Amino acid sequence: MERLATIWAIFQGLLLEALPFLLIGVLIAGAARWIAPGGRWLQRLPSHPLLAPLSGAALGFALPACECGNVPVARRLLAGGAPLGAALGFLFAAPVLNPIVLASTWAAFPNQPWLLAARPLSALLLAVALSTVLQQLPEGQLLEQALLEERRLNQPLASVGLLERRSGLVGVTPPTPAPPTERPSLGAVLEHCSREFLDLASLLVLGSAIAAVVQTLLPRSWLLAVGGAPTISVLSLMLMAVVVSVCSSVDAFLALGFAAQITPGALLAFLVLGPVVDLKLLGLFGVVLQPRAIALTAAAACVVVLLMGQWVNLWLL
Amino acid sequence: MRPIALALWGLVLVVSTLSGRLELLLSGPFHPLVGLSGVVMLAMAVQQALALRRSSKRRPGERRWNRGWMLSALLAIAVLVVPPNPSFSDLASNRSSELAQEAELDFLLPPAQRSLTDWVRLLRSQPDPELYQGDAVRISGFVLAQGDGPAQLGRLLVRCCLADATPIGLPVRWPTGYQPQADQWMAIEGEMGVERVGGQQRSVVLVERLRPIPRPARPLEP
Repeated sequence: MERLATIWAIFQGLLLEALPFLLIGVLIAGAARWIAPGGRWLQRLPSHPLLAPLSGAALGFALPACECGNVPVARRLLAGGAPLGAALGFLFAAPVLNPIVLASTWAAFPNQPWLLAARPLSALLLAVALSTVLQQLPEGQLLEQALLEERRLNQPLASVGLLERRSGLVGVTPPTPAPPTERPSLGAVLEHCSREFLDLASLLVLGSAIAAVVQTLLPRSWLLAVGGAPTISVLSLMLMAVVVSVCSSVDAFLALGFAAQITPGALLAFLVLGPVVDLKLLGLFGVVLQPRAIALTAAAACVVVLLMGQWVNLWLL
Repeated sequence: MRPIALALWGLVLVVSTLSGRLELLLSGPFHPLVGLSGVVMLAMAVQQALALRRSSKRRPGERRWNRGWMLSALLAIAVLVVPPNPSFSDLASNRSSELAQEAELDFLLPPAQRSLTDWVRLLRSQPDPELYQGDAVRISGFVLAQGDGPAQLGRLLVRCCLADATPIGLPVRWPTGYQPQADQWMAIEGEMGVERVGGQQRSVVLVERLRPIPRPARPLEP
């Protein structure tokens, strides 16, 4: 019974901490819809394999939101027809490359300058790698169906086949309204925001519940017990990042509590993987990516972060 | 359905902030953000309800009942009805008790005014038990059961939410025959002593007076 009460409290803690950030993300996406209705500027972002994720990552500085708030903004970028690389770069790098997260990392580790450089750099590298890997899949297998159809309505005719743009076919109900060519009313934007918020909140509830159960039942001391072993410590801290699911704006403070017990590579792995893959986020990714793409993201992120952690351990140990 | 679900979640955030439940769940700096978000969500719910009332026609393809929203609305009701009541001792048993390296005291209060957290930080930064022998101690905390020794008096440090709670504890020499009950909150008065454990000296609180107290309004420490 005690255990159940603890799970319930941790669940509420995770959820109540994440909901405001989700709301901020949804409102930012709504504001972008209202300010630039057609999203033409999104289509002008670079589509070069390297420049696209870098430009997406740079947007993180303009739109500071943690990983939960990032998802609706990234969805808006994709729906508006932004190049795939730029939107994915934003989705994966912006949770770290934003002023709030960088400031909190600096506040938590002022005496470890290497980490202040390594965290954003690693996040950038990870975003470029994930964006490159995911773009190997055709958009039809990568993006969630409703998002894909909304995106195709916003893409130039030259880049989408008529049959791919299903809304024009006889007998097919348009899944989403046609893209607005003029500024939508504030009421319409708020309706869209509330709909999106509730969809994402349902997924967040599920993710928070799983994270609360797993982290209550899995003793944290097991994960930290292998702190000194180079490879195992990186792997265990990666698992911990996935399980704990705290927001990227505060995870540095959490890491501060056990930084002395673990290898530097494991510390970096925790700070880089958590904002991209965690139990709380996996449900939210469902509104952007298809299940196979989510699995590919998780697997590729784990491999890249493991390599980064190993390299840092070789360099600093 | 949409305005109702939105209003319920808004209500969860506002009620949690106003009723003090957040004190059990989140670190202080997040509280205004949670409360403000709740107010924004309630305002959005009212606006959506009015807009729905104005336009009686629904869009084609729009469903009034969305299964995901309904489930999340039911859960919001559950959160409103069942407040959090975590067992701090159970939570602590699952966590490492390592304090952050930087967790040192910026300034030193007189001994009788130091909180349990102040004492733990002081002992980590200057761990010579002889320095504190005979100092007055007036602290409060919950009984933190130890697997391999007598229970300590503990607190939870939280930077963000309960998910990152880190337990800290101070060894206590309980009165002979007294069996402290895990998770019970206690106020202890006494003095700091020295004991030898495993060949090493450490500070221990020698209890002169102790009384069970209700859980404080702000049980989490930053």
